[in-house]
Amino acid sequence: MSPMLLVIGYGNSLRNDDSVGRRVAEAIAALGLAEVQTLSCDLLTPELADQLSRSKAVIFVDAAVDAPSDVLLRPLQAAQSSQVMAHAADPRTMLALARDVFGHVPQAWWLTIPVADLGIGEQLSTLAQAGMREAIQRILRLYETVMTKLSLRGHSLINTAA
Amino acid sequence: MAKRIIIDPVTRIEGHAKISIFIDDAGNVSDAEFHVVEFRGFEKFCEGRPFSEMPGITPRICGICPVSHLLASAKAGDAIMAVNIPPAAEKLRRLMNLGQFIQSHALSFFHLSAPDFLLGWDTPPTERNVFGLIATNRDLARAGIRLRQFGQEIIELLGGKKIHPAWAVPGGVRSPLTEAGREKIRGWLPEAYATTKTAFDLFKKTLESHKKEMQIFGNFPSLFLGLVDAEGNWEHHGGKLRFTDSSGNIIADQLDPQKYFEYIGEAVQTTSYLKSPFYTPLGFPEGMYRVGPLARLNVAERMGTPKADEELKKFKKMGHGAVTSSFLYHYARLIEILASIERVEGYLEDSELLSDELRADAGINSLRGVGVSEAPRGTLFHDYTVDRDGLLKKVNLIVATGQNNLAMNRTVAQIARHYVRGTDVPEPLLNRIEHGIRCYDPCLSCSTHAVGQMPLEVRLIAPDGRVVREVARRI
Repeated sequence: MSPMLLVIGYGNSLRNDDSVGRRVAEAIAALGLAEVQTLSCDLLTPELADQLSRSKAVIFVDAAVDAPSDVLLRPLQAAQSSQVMAHAADPRTMLALARDVFGHVPQAWWLTIPVADLGIGEQLSTLAQAGMREAIQRILRLYETVMTKLSLRGHSLINTAA
Repeated sequence: MAKRIIIDPVTRIEGHAKISIFIDDAGNVSDAEFHVVEFRGFEKFCEGRPFSEMPGITPRICGICPVSHLLASAKAGDAIMAVNIPPAAEKLRRLMNLGQFIQSHALSFFHLSAPDFLLGWDTPPTERNVFGLIATNRDLARAGIRLRQFGQEIIELLGGKKIHPAWAVPGGVRSPLTEAGREKIRGWLPEAYATTKTAFDLFKKTLESHKKEMQIFGNFPSLFLGLVDAEGNWEHHGGKLRFTDSSGNIIADQLDPQKYFEYIGEAVQTTSYLKSPFYTPLGFPEGMYRVGPLARLNVAERMGTPKADEELKKFKKMGHGAVTSSFLYHYARLIEILASIERVEGYLEDSELLSDELRADAGINSLRGVGVSEAPRGTLFHDYTVDRDGLLKKVNLIVATGQNNLAMNRTVAQIARHYVRGTDVPEPLLNRIEHGIRCYDPCLSCSTHAVGQMPLEVRLIAPDGRVVREVARRI
């Protein structure tokens, strides 16, 4: 089923705050929103490009190790087709793969959450916890905007939530 | 004056590494070293945890081959409990491992390596990548992604998720294949076979124009190690270990994986976090051996499935006793993909995969357990020592990239000898050394347990540490 909105949280679940993107995706999944699919994964791998290409919009959620202290939601463009790809890719490369291999690139955003602790463990720092709460609210606001915009364009709203 | 060239780091491999090339006074390459400069220390931080948690922890060493760690870890747990797992669980584990072979080899062949030999070695790095491949042959790139998707789907159908499924446990597995899952896998088979055939056709064509690469990309004598069954057939999860030499002679056979430490030593070098295993009877470094697809096909007499057996016959004709060129790791990967698809197809007819008799239960019956399984990149050892409560006292992981360490050094040196003249670091050298390493599809996440992605730098350094020349390529 092609979702209106795909939320992909990625990171290492054994590296404390690095898992914050995954936890956001899991929290969104628990809300059971119509027309929303979520993915919680360690890495962005090439086969996800197929799923991306079948989505109308996508939000990548990640821990920001080098970002300022704020939760940032930034529009994201596909990379130029000259990016190198290793075993795992970054969001812009994934969008380029969706475009170049599967013929469609969704509207995309990159939601980054500031983090404090990337040591080994499964706990979120206070900073990441606060960022997680804000990130969820940002996604919900964006969800409303996306749904309104897409429904105005005539896309049907079928409840695909579990 | 003798000099050293450093390539730091190496692209399109998983993890962080650099390469040093040593130049003698005459300006010739005397040696090379592949260094791993990151350390993650899974072996240490697992100490004190219950052994039963290890199948949940160790797959997180790597996002690309978590299944390999999952299965080896579960097998080590089986050994500590001293149980034979139910037949259905054994088959299901094998099915998941085959999915892992398909997805990992597809990524390595189509996305990481094919751009080099299909687009040309001297194509600029900004074009010589998967997007260059897409521009040239979009259908092939798409087919490669979908083949990987097929392997991932097998893993997900069994384990509930593609990456880091905590599905195999000491004593068996948590859940069977469902009827719906079986049909889903069946639906993929025609496309998977077709993609594999396309890849074979393409690769065989490229061999004609890559005779030089076959000669210099890691073409040297070494031992080979892999699992085989009792009849000498290709194995990927059970069986015993076999060493062969570069003439194809079996030098040790049906070795008990539980006693690997009696015939495999681990050398530690001060310049790398990567350990260098060797075959103990020949000592270090003479006991250098290779693992992975090339090695498995050298030690196996048959693949055990009709189509792959036909390909194996052709493959073996490319060597004299053994196929010694590491460039042919790519060919071996394709044969293993084919064998895996055939075996997956075979399993679909086996109703035992739907059984719910999946776990054997027991307490601590052995204070040491070793789990050995073939990972896509080579033989993987998990060795756990526990106390009476099952808490880990010692963990030793021997991974494929470590076992290929000495061979990678030799490969880099061999390629460099063809291209380095004095202090000149020509572009073709960088391209080919990158690929020489990539033949092994090294996973440094596994071997040191770190992740990363990086540009390429070459430095020419005198023995006193002085940088004589530096070349950097940011891509």
